[in-house]
Amino acid sequence: MADEGKTLRTAARERRAPRLTLAMREAMEAWLFISPTVAGFLVFFAGPLVAVVLYSLTEWNLLTQQMTYVGLANYRDALFDNPDFWHVARNSAIFAVGLVPFNMALALALALGLSGRFRGVIFFRTVFFAPVVTSAAAWAIVWKFLLQGESGFVNQILATVGIAGPNWLRDPNWAMFAVIFTRVIKMVGLNMILYIAALQAIPRDYEEAARLEGASGWQVFRWITWPLLGPTTLVIMVITTIGSFKVFDHIYLMTGGGPENGTLVLAFYIYEQGFKFFNVGYASALAILMFAIVMALTVVQLLVRRRDT
Amino acid sequence: MIDRLTPRQLAMVSRVCWTLGLSVAAVPFVFPLLWMVSSGFKNAAEIFGSPSIVPREWHWLNFVEVFTYQPFARQYFNSLYISVSVTAITLVVSSLAGYALARLRFAGASLVGLFLVSALMVPEEVTIIPNFFLMKRFGLVDSHLPLILLPVFGPHGIVATFLMRQYFLALPKEVEEAGKMDGLSRFGIWLRIALPMSRPALAAVAIITFLHSWNLFLEPLIFVSSIEKFTLPLALSNFTDPYGTPLWHLQLAATSLSVLPILIVYLIAQRQIIESFALSGVKG
Amino acid sequence: MKALKQLLAATCVAAAIALPAAAAELRFTIWTGNEAHLQMLNGFANSFKATHPDVTVKFETIPPDSYTQKLTIQLAGGNAPDAGWLMEDAAPTFANAGVLEDLAPTLNAAKDYDFADFSKPALGLWTAGAKVFGVPFSTSPFVIFFNKDMFDKAGLEDPLALAAKGQWNMAKFQDVARRLTAANGKFGFEFKDGQGYDSRIMHALMPPIRAYGGDVWANRQCGFDTPQAVAAVKQLHDMVYKDKSIVPPGEKGDYFSGNAAMTINQISRASLMPKAGFNWGIAPLPAGPAGESPVIGQAGIVVFAAGKQKKLAAEFVAHMTNKTNVAIAAQFFPPARNSVLSGAGFLDSNKLIPAAQMKVVADAIAKGKVLPSHDKSPQIVAAMKPRVDALWRADANVENALKAVCTAIRPLL
Repeated sequence: MADEGKTLRTAARERRAPRLTLAMREAMEAWLFISPTVAGFLVFFAGPLVAVVLYSLTEWNLLTQQMTYVGLANYRDALFDNPDFWHVARNSAIFAVGLVPFNMALALALALGLSGRFRGVIFFRTVFFAPVVTSAAAWAIVWKFLLQGESGFVNQILATVGIAGPNWLRDPNWAMFAVIFTRVIKMVGLNMILYIAALQAIPRDYEEAARLEGASGWQVFRWITWPLLGPTTLVIMVITTIGSFKVFDHIYLMTGGGPENGTLVLAFYIYEQGFKFFNVGYASALAILMFAIVMALTVVQLLVRRRDT
Repeated sequence: MIDRLTPRQLAMVSRVCWTLGLSVAAVPFVFPLLWMVSSGFKNAAEIFGSPSIVPREWHWLNFVEVFTYQPFARQYFNSLYISVSVTAITLVVSSLAGYALARLRFAGASLVGLFLVSALMVPEEVTIIPNFFLMKRFGLVDSHLPLILLPVFGPHGIVATFLMRQYFLALPKEVEEAGKMDGLSRFGIWLRIALPMSRPALAAVAIITFLHSWNLFLEPLIFVSSIEKFTLPLALSNFTDPYGTPLWHLQLAATSLSVLPILIVYLIAQRQIIESFALSGVKG
Repeated sequence: MKALKQLLAATCVAAAIALPAAAAELRFTIWTGNEAHLQMLNGFANSFKATHPDVTVKFETIPPDSYTQKLTIQLAGGNAPDAGWLMEDAAPTFANAGVLEDLAPTLNAAKDYDFADFSKPALGLWTAGAKVFGVPFSTSPFVIFFNKDMFDKAGLEDPLALAAKGQWNMAKFQDVARRLTAANGKFGFEFKDGQGYDSRIMHALMPPIRAYGGDVWANRQCGFDTPQAVAAVKQLHDMVYKDKSIVPPGEKGDYFSGNAAMTINQISRASLMPKAGFNWGIAPLPAGPAGESPVIGQAGIVVFAAGKQKKLAAEFVAHMTNKTNVAIAAQFFPPARNSVLSGAGFLDSNKLIPAAQMKVVADAIAKGKVLPSHDKSPQIVAAMKPRVDALWRADANVENALKAVCTAIRPLL
């Protein structure tokens, strides 16, 4: 170890060429440090993104390997001719609108309940985090079983209290709810931990001072805790929203996009078009549209937040 | 009624209610896992027939058959080594870049940052098709390299980079200055001072990266086709008889095997995990 | 000394020529990972060595539910196998895309091959003019698997006996299923592999529609909204929701673990029965107003145009489908060769199925019609799926739902 340190030191001294200013050297070091990330970014992200734009202007069948330039026809098809796109975009929106607030509210509630120290707190934190470490495939397979029609476990439990549960995954009105619910339960633990971390970082004197002045629990939360959680809330909201647009495996394994296309979301639709029907051009146009939607949503969230603060 | 309780009793009652409420809320989180493990011990007829959580007969052999039915041990190993590689490489790459973005001044820094942020907004599904052709060009289709390269350099790697950057920003500069005085190179400062001080952030990044890779589904689905190269999520959905009908008892036994070790590691390390999240200030 | 040198040189040259040949390995993709199947296939590879001593064949298993998709990805990914199994629904797509090699020259040149021995209807999907894009390898009719114990408990004659008396028809099928449900407390009938509402919608709807004299599509015309198809599907819908005798959507009632009295499947599934723990049998599909109308599922073996050893691969296909080997394969995969089908050996070829029941299979192959196929099959099925989901609502209007199916698929036909 000591030897290594010495060589590093000598190397550093040797590199210090006389005419290199300090700033230039720092910039060079910075680029050296950042080069793997930037190279990977260019090769596996920026390049492919440009390629997707180009692909989206073609009609390209993966099986026959024939590619013809069709201009904006794929976009026209998606936006105006083919009703599927709007249906699918609507589904993705419903999924996000259902999932994000539900996930965040539950995460915050659990975090508020579990940020203190009492007996069993560790146990409960573990319990709520456990689904996060469970593979999505396993989670979906198990819930698919539990959510069967009459013989499903959930419905048998509901039956004991006199409720006739719906056929969760086969009923177009309930399937989306079932997917969102199981997804939230699966992922909420991570956001809960982030909130717990943020709550523990809030100095206790703020709250205590407010309490001394006679503020109620709700007032303390509304006027002190909640504003201080602002940055965390923003990050969680952005990440969860993007994540909700990406959802693929959950849908693939639980409903396959059905019933009646009720859970067919953008990511799944792109996969289906690209890798099941091999319409690479059309799938690429869809991918660009998805990029645009997610980008717009993120920017809006950031702007709204900035205006608020 | 409440009036007659002493404050101490009141606290007790509220604690009991609180614990009870949490327990009820915990049911949908825990029950699926319990059900999964118990069904792994049942035979197919019982899985369909009885909802009891305790198996009527214990079919231990399910857990043996899992390994003979398909190369499950091999697939398990694939998932492990891929996830470990992804985690290790991500830690190095993202902490290097995160350090540069946090500490070093260079022309174009904000531009680079902006570009990288844009990657956060692009789901993997968007670039998966050209990446498929890229891998085809390199002859990497049906290999594990895409499953390592794409998460490291994809949106997830960028998230890791920004987490590291945030943490480095919050570190006191003085210690590093001292290192500089001692004649450490920039690389030396990163390796010997910055990294040891950012253990919580590294731990947090390692955890989310490992889980991300462990759960990866779309990429293996597209890039890998040979059974012995499958990763766990694919392998789990592949416990079917030769005609495509799911073999539920095997599937659930295998699923239990895939989840339990991770859960046990989590249980043992959970205090550190939560602390590292808290300390890393994964909060932007 | 000189002679020795020459000998040495000659050996070197010979070795140099022989080496690449020795390395020849054919990649053959297949959907089955079943040991008995693989053992048989490896047997074909071994007997191929008699004529091609240096060639080995590696059978690569791709799971059945994503078989066609992964195969396509391998072809597009520049990782094409030499030969492989192809399901009927993919055959027209692949043939039209030009990714299949014409096997006619090799098959015609093969010794004692006798291509004319293949049944003409069975070749329909695989030939275009004089070109042969694949050789049918499994021509497997759909049959009814029944749980004899449940029939006994309900005091009912089993479908095989009913068929012998000419009474096994759609009306009887509905009646029997209802009685079975009542007597056993388990479902009377399960669609193929419990997937009738998901990946097997065609296998669920197709046989009854044909029994009623309709078809799902033919000559680019949609057949789902014809009166025959509507009547057939109405019967199924009644069985699911009025009689509650068919496993409904979202439930699991697995025949093979004794949770349904009857199911529809192919004889390859007989391999699951020894473990099932109940008495069982197979019977023809119930006849309908249009008489008997057996339905056949088919798969062929093909050579990929993108493969590197096309000639060799085609020779292996010729070997795999010669008379001897088709007779061996018949135990799992019913043959399309007339000589094997009518030969005495076929009825005894499957150890699990008595000859009297194998007769059902042979009859069905002789009279049956292959499942409909189309070069846009994946898209058609995807377009149908949401409309068929709507059809399976408890309160669905079957006629309108089937009209919607036709509206959805007509542009693709």
